[in-house]
Amino acid sequence: MLIFSVFKTLTDQVVTVELKNDLCITGTLKSVDQFLNIRLDKISVVDPERYPHMMAVKNCFIRGSVVRYVQIPATAVDTQLLEDATRREHASTHKR
Amino acid sequence: MDSLIPFTTSGSLVDCVDKKVLIVLRDGRKLVGVLRSYDQFANLVLEDSYERIFHGLEYADVWKGVFVIRGENVVLLGEIDLDVEDEVPLVQVPLQHIMPLHNAENEVRKKNEIEKGKILMKHGFVKEGGEGDGY
Amino acid sequence: MADLSAQVQEPFDLVRLSLSERVFVKLKGERSLVGVLHAYDGHMNMIMSDVEETILLVEPEEEVNGAGTVQTVKRQLEMLFVRGDSVILVSPGAR
Repeated sequence: MLIFSVFKTLTDQVVTVELKNDLCITGTLKSVDQFLNIRLDKISVVDPERYPHMMAVKNCFIRGSVVRYVQIPATAVDTQLLEDATRREHASTHKR
Repeated sequence: MDSLIPFTTSGSLVDCVDKKVLIVLRDGRKLVGVLRSYDQFANLVLEDSYERIFHGLEYADVWKGVFVIRGENVVLLGEIDLDVEDEVPLVQVPLQHIMPLHNAENEVRKKNEIEKGKILMKHGFVKEGGEGDGY
Repeated sequence: MADLSAQVQEPFDLVRLSLSERVFVKLKGERSLVGVLHAYDGHMNMIMSDVEETILLVEPEEEVNGAGTVQTVKRQLEMLFVRGDSVILVSPGAR
């Protein structure tokens, strides 16, 4: 749930989603769900000549399972907060 | 609360219903049609659908009809901008024209993948992916 | 070293100790990353910053005496989410 929460804080940021087939899509993050499926608005494709089918697409839904990376603006995240939240989640899921 | 979560993204697919969409499948196929329904797994119902076969900036359509698509095979669903659609430099050509080119392109890709696997093997790697990871 | 093994009782304990440290991550698809780890979850989804990605590029078309060419390409990324299903291994202490 931690990463899901992080992505929720990133809505309306411009991100680049890299798929496992190397397709890179830049767009405004509109929404995300617990499977990390992603909705992007006002998209543009890196290297559009290789992906002509994307030319007329303005917004898209990407299935979380096909994502390799999401490039995030560094200014959009508080790394200290992230690390604390991760430690807290680790502690709660590894209770002994 | 948890029962509401599945509707965050899937819920935002609401605005794609009854719109012309492009679906990219895991095997690399592209489908164009009207999105009629979906669920939280991204299972989709597509009506009046075509498989769109590309080669460079040319494409051909093959009529398919109504499809229920299992979510795990979906890579991406894109809403087609009807205003931009007629302005992109894509040209529709007859299927007979594009099929040999498309098949040849796939053959080359397949051969390259095998060659790549052999080269990687020499470097101590094993190719990733298997059946159904051709997108 | 003795106190490290006391702190690390299961695999994710080692990942937790790598938080805010530079780590090496090997991924599927002949890729690897070196970057600072800021977050992870049980799927090994991770968020890293100041990342250098190394990709092993294989070009079967450009045959050199029947072997094809292999080259490494590097790329810098300021902040990156990595999906856990691509991860092969995480190694702490990448300098």
